[in-house]
Amino acid sequence: MDSDLAVFIQQTVNAISLGGTYALLALGLAIIFSIMGMINFAHGELMTITGYTLMYCGLAGLPFYISAPLAMMVAVVSAVLMERIAFRPVRGGSPASMLVTSFAVAIILQTLFQNLISPRSKAVPLPDVFAHSIHFGELSIGINQILSISLTVVILVTLNWFLRKTILGMAMRAAAEDFSVARLMGVKANAVISGAFAISGALAGAAGVLWVAQRASVDPHMGFVPVLKAFIAAILGGLGSLTGAVAGGFALGFIEIYLAAYLPDHIQPFKEALALGLVILVLLFRPNGLIPAATVGREKV
Amino acid sequence: MVKSIVGTGGFVVVMVLAALIAGTIGGSIERTLVVFFISLIAVLGMGVYSGNSGILSFGHLGFMGLGAYLSGILTMPIAMKQMTLANLPPFLATAHFDLLGATVIAVIFVMVVALVVGIVISKLEGSAATITTLGLLVIVHGIIIGARDFTRGSQSFFGVPRVTDLTVAAICAVLAIIVARFYKDSVFGLKLRASRDDQLAAGAMGVNVRRERLLSWVISAGIVAVAGVLIGHFLGAFSVKKFYFVDTFALLAMLIVGGMATVTGALAGATLITLVTEILRRVEGGIEIFGFQTPQLFGTTQIGIGLIILLAMAKRSDGLFDRLEWDEALLGGWFAKKEKIVGDAPPEHKPVPEGSLQASSITKFFGGLKALDQVSLALANREIVGLIGPNGSGKTTLLNVLSGVLPASEGETLVDSQDVSTMTSHQLAGLGIGRTFQNIRLFSSLSVRQNVAVAALNAWPKVSTIVANEKVDMALEAMGITEFSEVQASTLSYGNQRRVEIARALALEPRFLFLDEPAAGMNREETDSLMDDLKSLCDRFGMGILIVDHDLPLIMRLCERVVVLNEGRVIAEGEPKTVQKDPQVIEAYLGHKGSQQVAEVLSD
Repeated sequence: MDSDLAVFIQQTVNAISLGGTYALLALGLAIIFSIMGMINFAHGELMTITGYTLMYCGLAGLPFYISAPLAMMVAVVSAVLMERIAFRPVRGGSPASMLVTSFAVAIILQTLFQNLISPRSKAVPLPDVFAHSIHFGELSIGINQILSISLTVVILVTLNWFLRKTILGMAMRAAAEDFSVARLMGVKANAVISGAFAISGALAGAAGVLWVAQRASVDPHMGFVPVLKAFIAAILGGLGSLTGAVAGGFALGFIEIYLAAYLPDHIQPFKEALALGLVILVLLFRPNGLIPAATVGREKV
Repeated sequence: MVKSIVGTGGFVVVMVLAALIAGTIGGSIERTLVVFFISLIAVLGMGVYSGNSGILSFGHLGFMGLGAYLSGILTMPIAMKQMTLANLPPFLATAHFDLLGATVIAVIFVMVVALVVGIVISKLEGSAATITTLGLLVIVHGIIIGARDFTRGSQSFFGVPRVTDLTVAAICAVLAIIVARFYKDSVFGLKLRASRDDQLAAGAMGVNVRRERLLSWVISAGIVAVAGVLIGHFLGAFSVKKFYFVDTFALLAMLIVGGMATVTGALAGATLITLVTEILRRVEGGIEIFGFQTPQLFGTTQIGIGLIILLAMAKRSDGLFDRLEWDEALLGGWFAKKEKIVGDAPPEHKPVPEGSLQASSITKFFGGLKALDQVSLALANREIVGLIGPNGSGKTTLLNVLSGVLPASEGETLVDSQDVSTMTSHQLAGLGIGRTFQNIRLFSSLSVRQNVAVAALNAWPKVSTIVANEKVDMALEAMGITEFSEVQASTLSYGNQRRVEIARALALEPRFLFLDEPAAGMNREETDSLMDDLKSLCDRFGMGILIVDHDLPLIMRLCERVVVLNEGRVIAEGEPKTVQKDPQVIEAYLGHKGSQQVAEVLSD
């Protein structure tokens, strides 16, 4: 096989894998935003919590196939608790007050991780098989990447099924379109919002597992940067649009990986700024994102 | 004006006193106060944008960083630059300015950058704009690290002369207070605050929301750049970390805890967070309480600030000082009464110019739903046209299309003979199209007078604030709500809120006025008196009125002509009496069976 082509395929696999993680995160953010109008800054800390759970499970000698679902469960419970304790008092407040509240939660949790666990990066024991890779000629694809892409697909399909076929899922979609009407139709606000946080927790948990599986370490700020990227992905896709979030996540993954692979060396230090700048350029022409939310421009007058 | 002067004067006195006291004591208190003043400048700058527009920004620390680095390069001694920044381009390597010159250049540079970025950000809706500012912070951070030749990358940037002292910081803080307060009370600030309360209504009243946001964004970036220059020349050595999330968090806390809508809030927030930070920093290193040594706790300040934010947002989400400045809270409407021109006869009002509004074949789709189907409608001066139809027949959609709130899918609208189909709502407002809303959309935090003034300031041709004030008086008087002029709009009764909405539309001096269910929720007496007022408006000013209402007797009595919509189509048009008997109209309202019964009754 042509080695340029091999590099290209290799990078494409990387892009799908990174984009999938962004998509999961952006989707979790979009679900909360579409229902509550809230940008949850503390989403990344759910990822970090997942990472620490994996670490402790690994230290306790639990096998990965048990510790991964367990870590996701912990993320779900944390998300629901976070809403119950910190976000419910500001529910219905201005977007600014909800945002600042979640920012405060994020910073408090990061500081707690630093003090109670460790300010430094800690190793997470992973099964040996994750380090292996499959070779096709010059091409080598890591087992963890294959797992990561498969898991992303499974989660997206399951979530799609859940939102379309189950009562709670339909209630959530209704609430995302128009929360006040949905409440008039008998949809319970607390149930929907708790449910939304549970799902976004599960998505953050899954993203956390994938992130750690590729890096084998966890630190107090682990979730912060990927979630920043997921925010950007969510507006690139169209804020509040679930399909948009997934599309935006993958798009950002591709932009980042290809820039990193093909930018000349002397511009490499600017690759992150360039990727975000590109996104902002897209917004100049499509201010509502690639796939705008259904509610955009349909404000009741 | 008087109010702004007294309001800022109060701050200046307090701050000069603080500076004098700290100056005499000196030492660590002086340092703390300098940092406090610089934080205050940054918070005031952020507040100019976020407070008036309601959109939080994370990007301002980026502007602060740019200001600090650029001014640092400009003031650094040339010999120092040759050592630490050997690869600077010649024009920077040989440049040397004093603090003032460097500040001016840095502020202009940052404002230009903000203008370019702001063109994108002002296009985005609230939350998307906030996230984009987050992206901006990450981008600036990345560029500062990447541009090693200018900034030494992520290493410490040192050699900046330490020329920021208490006097400089205090003077700049006073200037920042003046700019922030005067901007807020200015015409631009008023328009932007109106859009914060209700973006859509502000547009319909002629406010170009994007332009106002862009202006405040650029001004606020300039103020924050000053804070950047000062902190750079206070520290002497700093790294890019200084302008990232940790400091963003502290400044946002200052902004939001006191209440981001006001200068008073910014001062209160900056004071509170500075005090708490000072106290917690001592706890952080471990202190002795009753002979026990507490352990060292890293990040106590962060947790403390975080808890204050949680508490403040849960208990008072508008901040400790709500939305009032200290002088407004203590002295109330005292200045407003003083400022008002007394004893004049009601101002002259010229009748509006003749003309017509002509909509032809308007079609509007919502996804697959055809909300309007080939609707044509004409409105001339001095006529009151009723627009009726069952629920969901497209009446409000038609008003939204005609007033530019929604774009039409097909069809065109002419004002006189000018095609206005692609104009936005604020452009149409400028052309003399005023409207009210079915579900009242007042600027809830503004006074009745300010609500009306927002529209008066956008009337075309542009007028001075004195003339605008006269127009406000005229509109308030025409709707009989002069006595409420200093009351906050959202506290009025339902009927009076509707009257404020009409007065607000009147202040645009509309040639065509659209009223969407103006009598909804009013009792019979209120409705009757409103009808009298509307009739006399039409006579006095000569505008054409298009009125939507469910109160058929009202429509029949008021209008010379009625247009009936059903399922997005015009099914009848003409004099009220004729339309009333039209079988299609009766069927639309009562259904097929009902219409048969009515037909029987009529034929008997």
